[in-house]
Amino acid sequence: MLHYIELVFRNLNGWGLPVIMLIVGIVEFSFGLYENRWTKNERILDIVCFVVPKIVVRPLIAYVGVLFLPTLLPDAKNIFAWVPFWWGFAIIAVGDDLTQYWYHRLHHQLPWLWRFHRTHHSAPYMGMAMASRQNIIYTIFFSQIYLTTTLVYLGLGYPVLFVTGIKALITTAAHSSIKWDKPFYTIRWLQPIGWVMERLISTPATHHAHHADSNDDGVGHYKGNFGNMFFIWDIIFGTGIITRQYPSGYGIKHYKEEEWYAQFLWPVFKSKRKGSELAVDGPVVGDSEPVLTVPPLVKA
Amino acid sequence: MKTDKITQQRIVRDALISIVLYALPVLLMLLSFSISGERPWKQHTQTIVKASR
Repeated sequence: MLHYIELVFRNLNGWGLPVIMLIVGIVEFSFGLYENRWTKNERILDIVCFVVPKIVVRPLIAYVGVLFLPTLLPDAKNIFAWVPFWWGFAIIAVGDDLTQYWYHRLHHQLPWLWRFHRTHHSAPYMGMAMASRQNIIYTIFFSQIYLTTTLVYLGLGYPVLFVTGIKALITTAAHSSIKWDKPFYTIRWLQPIGWVMERLISTPATHHAHHADSNDDGVGHYKGNFGNMFFIWDIIFGTGIITRQYPSGYGIKHYKEEEWYAQFLWPVFKSKRKGSELAVDGPVVGDSEPVLTVPPLVKA
Repeated sequence: MKTDKITQQRIVRDALISIVLYALPVLLMLLSFSISGERPWKQHTQTIVKASR
């Protein structure tokens, strides 16, 4: 039995997750959950972000694991291989996800980092299409990948297999436009499970709120709900809100539908859109720019 | 453009709490070893030594 579970996770971390994402993505698309917002520019960006990191990042991780760490820490290989499985599981789950929480939170709270993460937020829809959508710099410096690679080198490779698999499933499911968590809020006997679940892990309700284009509806919370696998970090640090509802709009209000290559490769390529955060003279954070409103004409 | 002072203070406060959170599973593991008397690192070393003979 254990052998089969291990096999499932090994395949999940390889080809399994991309295949799941493709199948769920097709279901979302056939149900019309992208609401005709998946334009050509968005399509190219989403597909490039889905494919390229798999080609670029994996060799980078292999380099760190196979060449860099043995040179830096030659006697440390498998030094912690004695750590019992469940303790290793807990150490990695906390280490990996708390590091990602911080990486994510700082990209929202430190203005100079925002433009490396805005590509993930510019999608005016939720779903498998945008789940991998990130600027390449954000992806390359994904801090927890290197921490986890180091822990594998130190001997915690077996628990890492399961943590990364479970984490990938939770974070992908939280981005889905299928609101699979709704029954946990509406069906009475499922509500106690829902109460625990929404505080422990990211769900569509809490993560969609993070992708809202506005906080005005009392549901959106794009300046919080930073949790990836665990939502509990947001509870501990007071950065989360739980409403059990889904925001009315997604993306960023000041989105200028910047060219896919500028969103993917900024600051190497800049946007030609005037006033864009990704343009040469654009604002660092478009949110902070005053919005000029024209007063309504009063008829005499 | 700068991060406002309250956010800066919260980042520092939460970073300090995070140090405790990172250490928590390791400390709990060591506590469980001290209660149960287990020494898995010794068993592991012996296994490696036996295997290398």
